[in-house]
Amino acid sequence: MSVGPSRRRLLELGLAGLAAGLIGAPAQAQAIYSQIYDAKRKKWIDYDPRRAQQYYAAYGSVPEEFKRQLVPFRTAEKPGTVIIDGDRHFLYLVQPEFQAIRYGIGVGRDGFGWAGIVAIGRMVEWPTWTPPPEMIARDPKSAQWANGMPGGPDNPLGARAMYLYEGGKDTIYRIHGTAEPWSIGLNISSGCIRLNNDDVTDLYSRVAVGAKVVVLMSGAALYRGV
Amino acid sequence: MGALVLMALITCSTGVAAAQEIVVGITAWPSAKVSAYVIGQVLAERTGVTPVYVERGSVGLLTSIARGDIDVYPELWSPNLDAAVSRAGAAVTVSTRSVTGKQGICATRAAIDQTGIKAVSDLTNPDIAAAFDSDDDGRGELWIGDASWFSTQVERVRARSAGYDQTMQLLQAPEDMAMAAVDASVALAQPLVFYCYSPHHVFVLHDVVMLAEPAFDAAAWQLVAPAGDPDWLEHSRAETAWDVSSLSIAFATRLKTELPAVADILGRIQFEAEDIAGMSYVLQVERKSPEAAAHEWLAEHRARIDGWFE
Repeated sequence: MSVGPSRRRLLELGLAGLAAGLIGAPAQAQAIYSQIYDAKRKKWIDYDPRRAQQYYAAYGSVPEEFKRQLVPFRTAEKPGTVIIDGDRHFLYLVQPEFQAIRYGIGVGRDGFGWAGIVAIGRMVEWPTWTPPPEMIARDPKSAQWANGMPGGPDNPLGARAMYLYEGGKDTIYRIHGTAEPWSIGLNISSGCIRLNNDDVTDLYSRVAVGAKVVVLMSGAALYRGV
Repeated sequence: MGALVLMALITCSTGVAAAQEIVVGITAWPSAKVSAYVIGQVLAERTGVTPVYVERGSVGLLTSIARGDIDVYPELWSPNLDAAVSRAGAAVTVSTRSVTGKQGICATRAAIDQTGIKAVSDLTNPDIAAAFDSDDDGRGELWIGDASWFSTQVERVRARSAGYDQTMQLLQAPEDMAMAAVDASVALAQPLVFYCYSPHHVFVLHDVVMLAEPAFDAAAWQLVAPAGDPDWLEHSRAETAWDVSSLSIAFATRLKTELPAVADILGRIQFEAEDIAGMSYVLQVERKSPEAAAHEWLAEHRARIDGWFE
């Protein structure tokens, strides 16, 4: 009997949750690894920051797995809906005829810590980034941007940002670009749901305010206490 | 052409005045939106009544029928609404023809192929449970329903009674999230198990199978309501499969005397489980309107419909 992949990820639960409820989840340690799918060997292999940086340096792109591609995707969700599988580091944009555009994503070192059904409430090109107070406390260099870092290639939010709303209110979570394209596929750095700048620009051009966003309960232990 | 239609109406009519309106309730359940239009159209074709459609919640619809505001309830779930039907009393008649519904734990094809799982009890096997583990804590994850559903409480009891609450993390979340997780798992051929009920379009959309369980035994079920006992979970047990559910048409009893032809037809309509799942699929997945889905269903099932009235 073969069993499913073992995915060791994330250090700890950090963020407050949205809609998902979890019953009786135990506490446990988690490592920082992610995994990528090796289509030739048909198995998931560990994918860590060092491996990711080496890969990006060698090939100038993320692994094939995380490149934007049209994939078969049977769903009852209507075209235009976004489905985010943080566990596998994929974002699906549902298309007609049981297809989806699949993008590789990176998530924060705290993972998502939440799951739920939200909507794109606001969309911004080259957004301003303001470091949260805890980041300023941790990293004095970020203090220079306490009043906001203008949009641009070094801005952590990248080329585009889509702000996720629930019930008409900002959830503090965003789908955004990144100045570190090699980080797609990983759970590192701060941030919510990161795509490389080309991909986030593509996604931005295809979605509209009001689009439904389903964040899956992948990595279910992330939701303990929710 | 108009004359031909008129002729057809006269031929099919059993004598009800053409202007007579029949109010068909529509509930939020997807297939009920389609079956309501199917029922309305069959009544129109066979008796000449004019169907009018009104949306209502399940209990509100029963109350409206008892009050005389609405005539037809397209898909009444039992045992879920048994108490509400009892409250409505003799004013509501439930057709004896019904569709059998089931609920339990489903597995994707990848789950069956990769783990060999066949029965719900297999989830107590730590090796099999680990195949559904997405966070490397050694236990699998299992969506058991929406937090607001009565069935979700029961699924907690069932997991505890069968023992897989020890090997699986039980998750509750809105159904859309769970179904999107099924979509994503199927897309990557990842194994997944989840609470499921039929008729439901997921059985049309994906290759999923309801896992085997011991047949329902009322003696093995004792459910304590959470409201009355903080230790309700410990004091409850449900050691077998769910009892089968049924979906039936219900209607205002007064139709039997006021419009006996209508009451007769309502008592003869016999949907099958695949009809209901198919209606749900056409509405939810193919995104057709309830009217269009009903029109299509009627066109494809003329022989079946004629059979109801032989």
